[in-house]
Amino acid sequence: MNQAARVGIVLVSHSAALAAGAAELASQVAGGAVVVVPAGGTDDGRLGTSIDKVRDAIATADSGAGAVIVPDLGSSVLTVRALLAEDDTLPGLLAVADAPFVEGAVAATIAAAVGSDIKAVVAAAEEARNARKL
Amino acid sequence: MPGSSERSVTLAGDLHARPAGSLAMAAAGFESAIELQVGGSRADAKSVLAVMGIGAASGQEVTVRATGPDAEKAVAAITEIILDATKVGT
Repeated sequence: MNQAARVGIVLVSHSAALAAGAAELASQVAGGAVVVVPAGGTDDGRLGTSIDKVRDAIATADSGAGAVIVPDLGSSVLTVRALLAEDDTLPGLLAVADAPFVEGAVAATIAAAVGSDIKAVVAAAEEARNARKL
Repeated sequence: MPGSSERSVTLAGDLHARPAGSLAMAAAGFESAIELQVGGSRADAKSVLAVMGIGAASGQEVTVRATGPDAEKAVAAITEIILDATKVGT
């Protein structure tokens, strides 16, 4: 593997605890090789989503190879979409993965850890829809 | 020149999430296709979710099978990770 920048991962959840926990898990499964940034809850710590938290998380996650955003449910998706539509100061390489939250986060992080490009990271996350756990 | 290689090891502990991650990341570094088999279940070693989904537990035999130009190296590396990661007490 070369030492080029890895794709970063942003986990958007209604719950700060859920986003933080998923980020901790994904990061540890990948041995800490990837920046996984949680963006959960509202600015005042309630359940919900914050466009500013997502914007900051993207800035932290991107180190030149772009960032893949994994939203949990409903308004997480809407918040991410609204941000991508309205903010033209964001990094050029951004993608949203349509994937189950925990499985998608883990699969995306492993793909990023081995140096996959942003398309392959999204594909790995989205393949998680077909992964059986039993 | 494509070759194939295979080795079976007995797990000393369960194959948890973290070792599944190490295994999938190591597998991604090989050109060969690498498969794990536990009983009747098979998993692509390069897919962390498939490796976790195979549910390999202590005492079970895991067969690592690789096909491709670096098959032998791949099987050696993956079996070592499995043995190392599932050592009791880690």
